[in-house]
Amino acid sequence: MGATDVLNMTISEAAAQVERRTLSPVELTDAMVHRIAAVNKALNAYITVCGEEARQVAQAAEKMIGAGYHLGPLHGIPVAIKDNIYTRGVRTTAGSKILADFVPAEDATVTARLKRAGAVIIGKTNLHEFAWGGTTDNPHYGTCRNPWNPERFPAGSSGGSGAAVAARTCLGALGTDTGGSIRLPSAVNGIVGIRPTIGRVSNHNVVPLAWTMDTVSPMTRTVEDCVLMFEAIAGYDLLDDHSAQVPVPDYRGELSRGVRGLRVGLIRDYSLAHVQPAVGNTIRAAIAALEALGIEVEEIAMPAIHGNISAQLTIESCEPSTYHREWLRERAADYGDDVRTLLELGEMYLATHYLQAQRYRSVLRKEFLEGFRRVDVFVTPTLPFTATPCGATEVVIENGQREDMLSAIMQFTGVPSLAGLPALSLPVGFDADGLPVGMQVIGRPFDEGTLFRVGHAYQGATNWHTRAPSV
Amino acid sequence: MSPQGLVTGDSIDTLCALADLPLPVERRARLASMLSGLIAAANDLSGKMANAEYRTIVPITRFPER
Repeated sequence: MGATDVLNMTISEAAAQVERRTLSPVELTDAMVHRIAAVNKALNAYITVCGEEARQVAQAAEKMIGAGYHLGPLHGIPVAIKDNIYTRGVRTTAGSKILADFVPAEDATVTARLKRAGAVIIGKTNLHEFAWGGTTDNPHYGTCRNPWNPERFPAGSSGGSGAAVAARTCLGALGTDTGGSIRLPSAVNGIVGIRPTIGRVSNHNVVPLAWTMDTVSPMTRTVEDCVLMFEAIAGYDLLDDHSAQVPVPDYRGELSRGVRGLRVGLIRDYSLAHVQPAVGNTIRAAIAALEALGIEVEEIAMPAIHGNISAQLTIESCEPSTYHREWLRERAADYGDDVRTLLELGEMYLATHYLQAQRYRSVLRKEFLEGFRRVDVFVTPTLPFTATPCGATEVVIENGQREDMLSAIMQFTGVPSLAGLPALSLPVGFDADGLPVGMQVIGRPFDEGTLFRVGHAYQGATNWHTRAPSV
Repeated sequence: MSPQGLVTGDSIDTLCALADLPLPVERRARLASMLSGLIAAANDLSGKMANAEYRTIVPITRFPER
């Protein structure tokens, strides 16, 4: 088998071969480590590469299989972890200078669960400093770049995980998502990522951004692979006070049920409004593809939705500033200028602004729960534009008007974050410059399974997810 | 009042004093400009949330398991 064949394997394909002993975890891991060496200088997707440790773990995984022990579909599979998620004995910087030398004595629960499932941790991925931003333009570890065009941004904050998966340097990665930080890089890098229902996946030993909105989840090339990683990390965790005691279904078993008869909602004056023309056209085509698979589309009004940007900015300003209070006073110069500015601003809201934003979440959630009486999922673009040039702080969406990047980027992803709902981003096409477009599918609380069904059915009928960047 | 004039350098000084946040003078103007827009939007949302139809709405900081 050639190196390119190995690199292009999905988790599902590699897992089947590892179990049959026709593919060695060591061969697989070595291929990924060599690939990282070849592309990371151009992409800056990794802050730390665990080459030697990964090889040792892969050798142990191979021995176990030889002795008849197989831990499941992640056994011997190389994955990457965003660098704000604790990894025992491996530094966890959160993309910051402040935590540059922090080596956790414990794993995050999600890290421990991946290890228990047999995954090989191949490295720690770059991110926007402390996950507080959407570009992964990191002043301490370098600007992360998009494999589809290294002059363009990979979005963020999990930009390193997005670029790493798209560039075939690992078979899957973990990201974190507060206001869109998994879904945004998934969209612009042409991969799959899911934000889970708050409480579905443990946040224990993950450096927080905004406690009431933070989540952790996988980023992969296919929905099926996303399910394989999600099943390994989802479920109640005693160590996380916000963890939910809700049973985790057999997602793999549900994938093949298809989507005929499912109802998809479009939010009036929102789902397809204020987007770049190429994004709008691509999403319309994706909806048509879903209709061809038997789904029904309905338009639903949701009048409260238009307060979402302010609510998200308020909560995402106040909560991080609370966490960072002491560092902002003692080590302000160690922050990048953009994050320092946001942290300073977060101290200047009134308590009533914060509480009104939290009340707004209740209103938004009620409107969604009402809408879910009529539809099974809602669909929007993941973001209203395709990847912008690295370093851009403004973006043009329509009519030549320049808009602030931070507000524009959270136009669609902030809504499920505020409402505590799960949301999947999957690749549904490309613009004229060859840059990926992502579609967001939003589901009922704890109904990640329906999102996986929709995404898997779409990928069964299309081939956007099989395209690879030329980097 | 227009969002541009809502927060001034002096307002930033006052807010920093209240928050016990030391802030270099050269950062005031930029923060004032950004905060004006953010606070105007937050005030607008607060106004909407004061509508009678939302009087019984409570904040969500933890989501139910259903």
